[in-house]
Amino acid sequence: MGKPSVWSSNRFWRRSATWVTGVSAVLLILLTFDSMSQMQMGTAQDIKNKVDKRIPSPLVINYKIDYQLNRKRGHEVPIIGGMDANGNSKYEEKEKFFGRDNYSEKEARELIHLGKLTIQAKNCMDCHTLLGNGAYYAPDLTKAWLDPNWKTLAPAYGGKEYAMATFLQNPPAMAMHERKMPNLGITKQEAKAVVAYLKFMSAIDTNGFPRNFGKIKGAVDAWK
Amino acid sequence: MCIEPCTDVVCSFWSILNQGPMTLTITLHTLIVLPMIWIYFDEKKKMAQGDIPEE
Repeated sequence: MGKPSVWSSNRFWRRSATWVTGVSAVLLILLTFDSMSQMQMGTAQDIKNKVDKRIPSPLVINYKIDYQLNRKRGHEVPIIGGMDANGNSKYEEKEKFFGRDNYSEKEARELIHLGKLTIQAKNCMDCHTLLGNGAYYAPDLTKAWLDPNWKTLAPAYGGKEYAMATFLQNPPAMAMHERKMPNLGITKQEAKAVVAYLKFMSAIDTNGFPRNFGKIKGAVDAWK
Repeated sequence: MCIEPCTDVVCSFWSILNQGPMTLTITLHTLIVLPMIWIYFDEKKKMAQGDIPEE
């Protein structure tokens, strides 16, 4: 019989497996708690104190939202209410949303919530992608609010949000591509809520996702 | 600067670990691979001393 080797010893592999499983489990638990803290929605107080949160307060629908290249982070980041000299959000420049820029936190939250329920009820993810989940049969909606096509349609409808809401209520009538979106029977109030959700979603810091969105001509000023 | 500044929205211990593949690799090797090397030599020593019970 040859010299016994550690590599063929059950004890060595058992101890190693126990160690790797244990360390990985602890790491995953700690990472879960870290993710949970990052998934917390911001509050009105954060906007008042100009604190950047990955998921901002629903109040962002009262503000102008932009998407600019942040040289330090190496990708585009949402800029809420104007950009200061350091490339951070100023939370100052307001933008009318369906004629108002004074939605209370409760109103904004309820509107966004209805938008989310509508998006789930109509199964938008069957064709679209939202925050990395869904399909690529139709355009990615994560930053749809900033899509330059809406900017060109805005004047005819009295604003980007009105153009988007009109489209949602009867998409075939305003078809922009060969691959047409069907009429899903979205009501006027639901359409407004979905647009609020899209505006809110465009203000979520997604670490530059979707990639290359900022390179779409006219989308943002970042890649001029 | 040899240590990259943290570029995450909310800087934390975890965001520093995720700055790039190198920081994550160093961390996982420190936590997992180095102790395994220690386990290897510990088992080797026990074998040499004949401390391993029959299975």
